[in-house]
Amino acid sequence: MKRIVLRLDYCIGCRSCEAACRSRFKGEARIGVAEVNSTTLLAQGCRHCEEPLCAAACPFQVIVRNPDTGVVRKSDFHCVGCRSCALACPFGVIDPGLVRHMSQKCTLCSDRPEGPRCVTSCPTGALQFVEEPEKVEKRIGARYLSRHAHWRRT
Amino acid sequence: MQATRTTCPFCLNGCTSGVDWNGVEHKMHYFPDAEVNRGRLCPRGNSANIVIDHRERLCRPLLDGRDITWSEAEALVRSWLSQTKPEELAIVFSRARSVGEVRRMHGLARELGTPNLVCGHIEPENSFNHRLEGVANATLAQVESSRAMLLVGDVFSTSPVASWRILDARYADRKNRLVVIDSIRTRQAGFAHLFVQVKPGTEPFVLVALAALLDPEGVPGVDVDRFASIAGISRDTLNAAAKMLGPEVHGFVGSAMHTGRVFHPALHSLASQLVAKAANKPFVGFREAGLPFGPMRFADLRNAMVEGRIRMLFWTGGLFPYSYSELLPELSKVEHLVATSIFIPDPPVRGVILPLTAELERASVGASYWGTVERAPLASPLSGTREFSQVLDWFGRAAETNEILPKPASASEVVAMAQKAAGFVRETAEWLLIGEKKAIGLRGFHDPEDRILVNRSDAAKLAVSDANFIKVQSPSAAAEFRVHVSDTVPAGVLAVGVNVHRNRALFPLAVDELTGDVAITPVPVSVEKTARVSMAHSENPSVWI
Repeated sequence: MKRIVLRLDYCIGCRSCEAACRSRFKGEARIGVAEVNSTTLLAQGCRHCEEPLCAAACPFQVIVRNPDTGVVRKSDFHCVGCRSCALACPFGVIDPGLVRHMSQKCTLCSDRPEGPRCVTSCPTGALQFVEEPEKVEKRIGARYLSRHAHWRRT
Repeated sequence: MQATRTTCPFCLNGCTSGVDWNGVEHKMHYFPDAEVNRGRLCPRGNSANIVIDHRERLCRPLLDGRDITWSEAEALVRSWLSQTKPEELAIVFSRARSVGEVRRMHGLARELGTPNLVCGHIEPENSFNHRLEGVANATLAQVESSRAMLLVGDVFSTSPVASWRILDARYADRKNRLVVIDSIRTRQAGFAHLFVQVKPGTEPFVLVALAALLDPEGVPGVDVDRFASIAGISRDTLNAAAKMLGPEVHGFVGSAMHTGRVFHPALHSLASQLVAKAANKPFVGFREAGLPFGPMRFADLRNAMVEGRIRMLFWTGGLFPYSYSELLPELSKVEHLVATSIFIPDPPVRGVILPLTAELERASVGASYWGTVERAPLASPLSGTREFSQVLDWFGRAAETNEILPKPASASEVVAMAQKAAGFVRETAEWLLIGEKKAIGLRGFHDPEDRILVNRSDAAKLAVSDANFIKVQSPSAAAEFRVHVSDTVPAGVLAVGVNVHRNRALFPLAVDELTGDVAITPVPVSVEKTARVSMAHSENPSVWI
């Protein structure tokens, strides 16, 4: 089960991941940038939680976690743009701004053989697409971000 | 689907990029085997497909805003040319023109008999054309194996992909050292072992003083304490930097210059190289574009337009004059022939505008930090556009000639320049506005840069928070910005992004007293809190929606 992992030591906050995502999804940015402190912007992608609160909050059960791949996906066809997922996400990753009347949800570019486009384009290699066990070793950043009271979306 | 491969033209890092064409639209393609970038791209590089497919790309000639045919445009231009004396014609080139095209324009100007060939790329970074004798350009291998690095300005935002090798070198060994000199505490500064925050625009003084500490014999006659105090730093800080960058350790010096953050661009370039020479290290001038100077300086062109000596202006390349709206009153006095590949929603000048093939649609040879690069066309030219060479043929068929490059300066000349610059007294203003460099190019280079960085103590003084807006009035323009309280800027300094024209208009075009070149410097402004309040960006996440 592969996940996107951010190496904090290499992220320069250039927003290339966001640009790549926008380019792929025609204006939608499914990965954002969070401000950890006044000088540090860090990429904020969907964690694809084991128990996704966005899925639990969705009134139409549009967001579903695939138990085999672990990917939490949203059906654009059924999404009504109520923003419940954006409110429920504990990491603030889902942008409350709607694009084409729908919220935007990372799919890990499941349909792209090379893996997520944000990872491919990351100028410093800060974003990596790695297997779950490797991710466990690199959880310091995620813990830091989730506990940091002052980060905010820009 | 077949991917076409080329070298990204948006900065001089020389990244390999490409697009896929699926019959409907272009999609970015990444090449992990690329030597320079291994498939990685910055936001601007990622936007290449947006530029190619941009729906506002101009695809037909315009005369005063209305459509005309190419033959009508040619007849009109030939008629203008026959009625205009050579000395009344000025040719301005800007970025998006290849080295070969610039050389042909030099030949053309010579053939037409006009001395008025001007480089319109007046960003401070173009002053990296000023070279110091005896300084070599760094190679990729030298950057990768660096053990001591000095970065001046925000190199990471200028060339994000280059930052990866710098960070790799920084982390390769615990003894490796990274020193950053800048007036803003950027993200790049967060990676530094020593961050030297100087007063805006005073980097050259720090650099010359640092060079004098590193090589007292090679850089004599420098009052280190005086230069350090001009920049607002202590001699101890300089000593620490000199210790890290000693000539015995191999590494490199990288420098970047930003709009609205530099008073003396040529001195900034030469002083950066002086440190490289004193520290026995190679040098890289990080920039988005590098164009040779023309025989006429931009400041002189401006004077000539004001005095009515220029009747016809043929300009070609990137953003000029859309980037410099304060020039529009002067530009409105002359006939314009504009040849550009850029999308123009609302042409601000009268005259003929010709749609050209974009950089991404033609083959060319260019330069990168690491050597010469060749570019292949990523896409077929937009219907209705023409090659630049076809437009040049209307003027004549002159052969290429070598462009003019400034004579390399010596160390003593740089010290003399710094001493002269130290004598210029700047106005002391309560508020100083500077430019913030950003790498972003999302949505096809049209991001709203509506945020202004305000120091925490200044925010308290103005009684503003992140939800408030302030109006900034500079000598040339006024604009309203959303406050972003930040410790990145020192007290009394405000910073705005300078990718959008509205913000650039706040910075009047000044003339560098040292060289006579145009400089876009930090500018004194007045600040006023407005009644507007934004809830969308409150610190309380519950009101995001």
